[in-house]
Amino acid sequence: MTTIAELPGRALAADDNAAELAADEKRERQGLFVLCSPALVLVFLVVILPVGWLFWLSLYDAHDAFTWGNYTRMVHSGAYIKTFRTTFEISVVVTGVCVLLGYPLAYLLSQLSQRLAALGMICVILPFWTSLLVRTYAWLVLLQRKGLINEALLGLGVIDHPLRLVYNFTGTVIGMVHILLPFLVMPLYASMKTIDRDLVRAAANLGASPVQGFWRVFFPLSLPGLFAGVVLVFVLCLGFYVTPALLGGGKVQMWAMRIETSVNLYANWGAASALGVVLLVVTLAILYGLHRLFGLHRVLGPS
Amino acid sequence: MTRRSVPITTAAVLAGAFAAGALVGPAFAAGSITVASWGGAFQAAERKAFFQPAAKALGIVIKEDTTNGIADVRAQVKADAVKWDVTEQGSNTCAQLQSEGLVEPLDYGVITNTKGIEPTLVSSHWVGIIYYSTIIGWSTETYGQNGPQSWADFWDTKKFPGSRASYAKPYYNLEAALIADGVPFDKVYPTLETPEGQDRAFAKIAEIKPSVAVWWRSGAQSAQLIKDGEVDALAIWNGRISSAIKDGAKAAFTFNQGVFDFDCLVVPKGAPHKALAMKAINQFLAPGNQALLPRYISYGPVNLDAFETGLITPEQAAQVNSSPQNAKVQFVLNPNFWVGRYDKLQERFDELIQE
Amino acid sequence: MTPASDTQISHLGRLWLYVLGVLVMLFLVLPSFIVVPMSFSDSAYLEFPPRVWSLRWYESFVGSVEWRDATVVSLKAAVSTMVLATALGTAAAYGLHVSRFRLTAAIQALLGMPLIVPVILIAIGVFYVYARLGLNNTIAGLILAHSTLAIPFVVVTVAAGLKTYDMNQEMVARSLGATRLRAFLSITLPQIRFSVVVAALFAFITSLDEVIVALFISGGENATLTRRMFNALRDQIDPTIAAISTCLIGVSILALVLIQAFGRQRTPRA
Repeated sequence: MTTIAELPGRALAADDNAAELAADEKRERQGLFVLCSPALVLVFLVVILPVGWLFWLSLYDAHDAFTWGNYTRMVHSGAYIKTFRTTFEISVVVTGVCVLLGYPLAYLLSQLSQRLAALGMICVILPFWTSLLVRTYAWLVLLQRKGLINEALLGLGVIDHPLRLVYNFTGTVIGMVHILLPFLVMPLYASMKTIDRDLVRAAANLGASPVQGFWRVFFPLSLPGLFAGVVLVFVLCLGFYVTPALLGGGKVQMWAMRIETSVNLYANWGAASALGVVLLVVTLAILYGLHRLFGLHRVLGPS
Repeated sequence: MTRRSVPITTAAVLAGAFAAGALVGPAFAAGSITVASWGGAFQAAERKAFFQPAAKALGIVIKEDTTNGIADVRAQVKADAVKWDVTEQGSNTCAQLQSEGLVEPLDYGVITNTKGIEPTLVSSHWVGIIYYSTIIGWSTETYGQNGPQSWADFWDTKKFPGSRASYAKPYYNLEAALIADGVPFDKVYPTLETPEGQDRAFAKIAEIKPSVAVWWRSGAQSAQLIKDGEVDALAIWNGRISSAIKDGAKAAFTFNQGVFDFDCLVVPKGAPHKALAMKAINQFLAPGNQALLPRYISYGPVNLDAFETGLITPEQAAQVNSSPQNAKVQFVLNPNFWVGRYDKLQERFDELIQE
Repeated sequence: MTPASDTQISHLGRLWLYVLGVLVMLFLVLPSFIVVPMSFSDSAYLEFPPRVWSLRWYESFVGSVEWRDATVVSLKAAVSTMVLATALGTAAAYGLHVSRFRLTAAIQALLGMPLIVPVILIAIGVFYVYARLGLNNTIAGLILAHSTLAIPFVVVTVAAGLKTYDMNQEMVARSLGATRLRAFLSITLPQIRFSVVVAALFAFITSLDEVIVALFISGGENATLTRRMFNALRDQIDPTIAAISTCLIGVSILALVLIQAFGRQRTPRA
């Protein structure tokens, strides 16, 4: 009786087959990469290409002559330097306030029952989906000299004169915190939900006080989510436009606002482009720096 | 259908279409232009006073759009994608566009309604359309009827304590600053043309800066400020504050030392319907149409013949900034000063007002 | 005392946390709710609390051709963006998850670009490119730009959903003879449905609420709602905007209810 091994035709050698299957699999996997391409094409056409074009434009002046003037103007002009400083100050302050307010909120939500947490998340998501313009204007109405907050404080006798809560740095910070807080709370909450409660219970069993248990077990485990949120908020702050324009009273000029005014001010696009390019480079540099420090690839992206 | 009846049927269909086309022909052959202005209540007023009467008189359709300023025109002309036939711009913008070669020369063979217009407002590539003024307004809750009556008063925070608001651009601000510092009207521009004069103006603005609560960027913002009582005194466009008062704002204003300026019309280079655009501009400048504007907003007609038509009532004339009694106390802004100087001065101004 | 959590702290011990949490939540929702009464005010300026109540701003919204057209444009763009971005983003997330390609991290970074590059930069760049291509003030141009902005959200959301999904189920289906596509559509997709729906809603809202790019590239007859609102705020602050926002809040609440409805069928996490 012939065994299978003795059958004519291709030998069913184990290694050959395995190798071919592996090669097939690899080809198939690489072929699947094609699924990413439409999205990549779109990103290339709408983001990479125009930004590259702007970079090229920034090197030319109004008379189409090559020049570094658009960049040197930034270093020499006091107005630009103030703008950069203001942008960073606001970004740091807003991110800080978001962390102070957002971390406790995320922690609280992560500790609640499913239903209560869902209710709480509605409070976080609802403003996120109300129009940005409208929320900013609502803050204007609330914070102005004769607005609700001042009237309430005056009525309660807490203050004598109305506080200057808007058309300045304060108002801008309040408005921006309100817009950006959900961006911090959502990744942080998601990350906190994945923390294994057994670890915290174990710490309690081993004699840690609640505070110790939090700081030494829970908090470090929540850091990836926190960093994701902080990075997202900070980067968004750098490029913010609408809220400082409406709540800053003309005194708070952020980078994106200056780009917009440059579009209207100069006869060519070089000035605005140069500002935009510098903003982009700074943003990428900050992201890269944070990546080196904290290993961002672990917190951003699918895997 | 038989083979013979097909040509007959076809002919019938074609004849019918032709007849139908002839009936609606005039509408199609009428033509249309696109006009861009500043939007909102301002454009609504211009629509009633200028665009609709002009469309009716010429038998055309006037489509509207809104403009944000000079960048729109530049972008369209440079990209060779001009959508607008006529656009309204600020006085210095028109002069700037002319110097950049981005606008068509106006056809004064067609635009004949220029008799009653101040000659300085009639230029080869642009023509004035309305007068507006930046005046001093104040909250009557703070100062009653006795608010600041001059720029020197505006700057005087001892006599008139409280918060201020001003335009976030150097226009009107530099002129007002020098006037507040005591420079007579006719010496303002000669002074501003010198570096020392500019330094003097900026130093004066630095003086008032601590009291300025808001540097406003849009007319609507300034109106909301005075309506909310957010500031005690402000520099504001006269049409805006008149509307706010009509709507119940507790405010008052004076034309004294107001900065008298104008908006103008240009035809972007490469506009699709140039010839019609010229005819439309002529209609907008007709005294009869110009006289309709004060009914809807308190900005003044550039064509002073409008005051002779009898269509402007005395109440309207009192509110309008270009009526004789109001015009004579004001300071006339010179747009040619700003051409070529604007960006440097704006940069310096920005640096000053930022905190 | 019943402990409030696994760390054995009592409810009283962390009362401050509850108070702070509630205050922050109030802070988050208050402005949205202020807008609703403002929309019923009779004054021609934004006023709160309203002195005289009326529906005139809703009438102004519904009665105005420009606002109605703008709403139609915004909705068209939002729905198309939702479809396009969800399709492309889901495909990309799936491709990335399954292919384990060498350059996965680089692709992820590229797909995240629309989020990282400042929106104002994208806006003026796209404006300039569209000016050359004649795509300014068209709905097609708007859809392309908004879809690109929405893609990072879709990719991250769907990828998170795929992470907790067992790909072997697809393997089983294929071993039983289904093609990869069929296996994806009939096995995988229904199970990651929650993530895909959330991603689609994200894309919808991103497009509907987008201000800056629309400000530059939409206009004329194809102006979006946000562009008209922004310009209206510049020219004439009128409470029609409050009326529109109240309607938009209604839409958001509807979207949230939809999510909850889908969410109930989802297997609860352990």
